[in-house]
Amino acid sequence: MTTPSAAPTRLNLREWLKTITFYEIAVGMKATLMHLLKYKPITLQYPHEKRTLPDNYRGMLALLRYDDGTEKCVGCDLCEAACPSRVIRVVSAEVPGEPTKRYSKEYYMDMTRCLFCGMCVDACPVDALGMTREFEWAVYDKRQLHLNKQQLLAIGDRSFPVREKRLEFQHPNTAFFNVAFKHVPPKPD
Amino acid sequence: MTELGLRLAITLTQISVIVGIVIVTVLLLTLAERKVLGWMQDRMGPMEVGPYGSLQPFADAIKLFFKEDIMPAGANKFLFTAAPLLALIPAFIGFAVIPWGPDLTWEIAGIAVKPFVISDINIGILYILAFASLGAYGIILGGWASNSKYSLLGGLRSAAQIISYELNVGLSIVGILILSGTLSLVKITNAQEGWFWNWYAFAFPAPQIFALVVYVISTVAETNRVPFDLPEAESELVAGFFTEYSGLRFAFFYLAEYANMVLVSCVASALFLGGWNAPYPGTLLSLIGLPSLAWIENTMWFAFKTYSFLFLFFWLRATLPRLRYDQLMRFGWKVLLPIALANIVITSIAVFIYQQLK
Repeated sequence: MTTPSAAPTRLNLREWLKTITFYEIAVGMKATLMHLLKYKPITLQYPHEKRTLPDNYRGMLALLRYDDGTEKCVGCDLCEAACPSRVIRVVSAEVPGEPTKRYSKEYYMDMTRCLFCGMCVDACPVDALGMTREFEWAVYDKRQLHLNKQQLLAIGDRSFPVREKRLEFQHPNTAFFNVAFKHVPPKPD
Repeated sequence: MTELGLRLAITLTQISVIVGIVIVTVLLLTLAERKVLGWMQDRMGPMEVGPYGSLQPFADAIKLFFKEDIMPAGANKFLFTAAPLLALIPAFIGFAVIPWGPDLTWEIAGIAVKPFVISDINIGILYILAFASLGAYGIILGGWASNSKYSLLGGLRSAAQIISYELNVGLSIVGILILSGTLSLVKITNAQEGWFWNWYAFAFPAPQIFALVVYVISTVAETNRVPFDLPEAESELVAGFFTEYSGLRFAFFYLAEYANMVLVSCVASALFLGGWNAPYPGTLLSLIGLPSLAWIENTMWFAFKTYSFLFLFFWLRATLPRLRYDQLMRFGWKVLLPIALANIVITSIAVFIYQQLK
């Protein structure tokens, strides 16, 4: 059985000349030479020069405080529920003496698994989580990336010097779990 | 001091100077290659060690020197040790017959010395070809002795490739031997004196321009450079024949590869582009009344031609992807070999007719 062979192509003089003069290789070599002559590197010498980060850069996660130094986190576990990689673990507890208020007694983030999607930040009802612009978190021991509450608060302290007031001291309409959304039409009275 | 001792001292001086120059060139090349490749690919190349990365070769050398020398389990110890030397020595030994300056004779204490060629033997080019073929043993034995699949495959590929392309190198040179009637590199270079159209690449009865193309392509394949770097194809064979090598032995292979590049560039410029001859008759320095310094200009021309070929090596590496193995073999045997053979036939006929007419 013979394999179907391609139709015999006629000798194309142009193609033949291009082949024997290495025309296509010459075109490629011209391209590389032009890059050499018009040398304009697109790389940055990283530790010495750094890129300008975009405004919505999603870097290291941090826990935030109010301007009076109290923690924002109310221990609602919504971040833990929202996290797709199960980075966050919250141990919630009542504030001693105030049975209606809760706080996060323990708060752990395993940053080795974090994929920096920002869903925890979106999920937080009190804006207690923030994403900083830190990204140089290479460590020699990956256990150092298992962060506790104190470390996360420290990151927040150094990255967010301007703190919000407590919600009750902000605009009078703003209250817990009852934030006015402008795009949602108000309920008829 | 006896005459023999004096001769020995002079020759040893020449050898050490040339080996020094070659090693300095190799150091320069490692940096230049990375820089040129970087610039061609819109990168910067090495920038950290020294101003603009200029001390990078020394950092590399120190690193390689102090790295642990690992011998793989099951390796053939003797061949594993001998292979880097077998690759390195033939690469350096070829420089003995390269004329890198004018064919002068200096009188030192009553002994006639040719300062710019270590030994002007009458079969210079044959000697270089012979030792270049021996260099393949280093690669093959290094691949076999490592007791590793990748090394063995790299060594085998290298064997097939070097055998195929050695042939084309040899045949592309034959045209020049017909034109010059000698095998001595010194005499071949001397015969190309005068204007640049006397260079054998453009010389009258039969310009060897096709032979030059065949030679350059074949030497790129012979020195295992991109696009013919199948023996060390890093995407397929980790690092080919020197996968298992580290430290100083790896440095020897590396040095051998670059020394081979310098050697084939020197041979190409000596055979095809007039060697140390300037593209104009005589030299400018002797024209302005400094004939005793004319050798500086001549050696500079030789260096310029050699470095142009070396730049071509980098340029090809920045441009071309690697060939497939069957493409490599087909190109060597079915394209380059017929061109080289046709070149020999045409050159012989042209030279014969030219001599009959004269």
